[in-house]
Amino acid sequence: MIEFVSVTKKYPSGAMALDEVNLKIEAGEFVFVVGPSGAGKSTLLKLITREILPTSGQILFNGEDILKIPKNKVHVLRRRIGTVFQDFKLLLTKTVFENVAVPLEVLGVKESEVEKEVSAVLDKVGLLEKADSFPLQLSGGEVQRTSIARAIISKPQVLLADEPTGDLDPKNSLEVIKLIEKINHEDKTTVFMATHNAQIVNHFKKRVITLQKGKIVKDEKEGRYETT
Amino acid sequence: MRLIRRSPYQALAAALAMSLTFFISSIFILLIIGGQIVLNYIEQRPQVIAFFKDNATESQISELSSKVQATGLTTGVKYVSKEEALAIYRERNKNDPLLLESVTADFLPASIDISVKKASDIQNITNIVQGDPQVERVITPQNLVEQLVKWTNTIRIGGIAFVSTLLAVSFLIIIMVIGMRIALRRDEIAIMNLVGATKWYISRPFFIEGALYGVVGASIATFLVYSLLLFYSPNIQNFLGPIQVFPISPLFFVYLWLAEIIAAATIGIVGAAIALFRYLRIE
Repeated sequence: MIEFVSVTKKYPSGAMALDEVNLKIEAGEFVFVVGPSGAGKSTLLKLITREILPTSGQILFNGEDILKIPKNKVHVLRRRIGTVFQDFKLLLTKTVFENVAVPLEVLGVKESEVEKEVSAVLDKVGLLEKADSFPLQLSGGEVQRTSIARAIISKPQVLLADEPTGDLDPKNSLEVIKLIEKINHEDKTTVFMATHNAQIVNHFKKRVITLQKGKIVKDEKEGRYETT
Repeated sequence: MRLIRRSPYQALAAALAMSLTFFISSIFILLIIGGQIVLNYIEQRPQVIAFFKDNATESQISELSSKVQATGLTTGVKYVSKEEALAIYRERNKNDPLLLESVTADFLPASIDISVKKASDIQNITNIVQGDPQVERVITPQNLVEQLVKWTNTIRIGGIAFVSTLLAVSFLIIIMVIGMRIALRRDEIAIMNLVGATKWYISRPFFIEGALYGVVGASIATFLVYSLLLFYSPNIQNFLGPIQVFPISPLFFVYLWLAEIIAAATIGIVGAAIALFRYLRIE
């Protein structure tokens, strides 16, 4: 599904974010990518959505080299990917319902269909009763669940999560990851999550890729995150 | 509309700048058209009148008339005999018996009234008739026409310069306002970009906003000009005297409005395009 072939990313400042990274993620997998700050986790995710371009190497999405996608077709790639961020990136002037509806509006889905789809997703993430609330009226966990609802509303093939529990307490963190696991299990959505929350990683026993200074130092099924 | 509501003062500034620009443009357009109507009116009047000496014979007058017509610069040459001149004199002074007393045809000279095709040919015709020994005096509104042509040209050039400056200011204001809107919505734009919105989907509201400023501005301007002209039409007609300019067909204002909204919307859209090119940073 996603394949990195000798991918290197060097920022203009000279910082080496990724160094000759090779990895393959199969459809339906749940993968944690772990490592200390600056290890290259976020860079890895941004390369998949083509927010940034690699210095060298190849990135394949369903066998297609995403670097060869013309600029005016990048949106097609992004419609197949849902993204969740540490800082949620919700629009504070829109309600939960309106925030979740954004991807469908972008796709030009009919209003009646939007209503139906958004309600179904909000029900799935347990926020149906909060549909008319604004993000500032929600708890941290609810805000992140809204962000997840927005990420999965257009039924993406892949869910990218960049430190989704970074701003949450342990209880909410666990709930959010359980929700993401449910999406992975029920919808067969591939999950690729960057985190440095060792407790979570070790609890869920999924595939763990460990990055250090831009290099993959470990890639284990049912792996662990050692923070020593 | 949500965008406009969010910062109404910027929207007001953009729409007012457009209104002012197109209000001034409309005034200049009307002045230029009005000037042309006055010029046409004057050009249709006899512009050169040559008065003959008392001893000039009809054949000499006829010879000069033919000579003038042969230049091809005239639209008409009319002979006014002493008797016809007296009739005109009597008609003009019919309310003043004192002026009519003791005036006979012998007192008044025969003349030819010459209308020229173009105001610029008045001087040529004047030179021809003045060179004739039988002509005693030549009257020509040359100065008036020259002044009018000069004024019309000045209004045209001044109008173009002034309106161009205002257009540039409106254009810059549109770029600035749309640029601010883009900055204001950068989070929303980033999210839309990430969930797969096309560049056109993200840009469209800004193009619509730019066009809207143009349409609203031009509509206000046309309405103001129409109202002012309607209000002051008696005064203007009084000033212009016999030159009939009113009533102006409402169709003219419809065309003016359509032309202005097209021009203004184009400015709005191009301004938005420049702002988007300059400030919208999405991959």
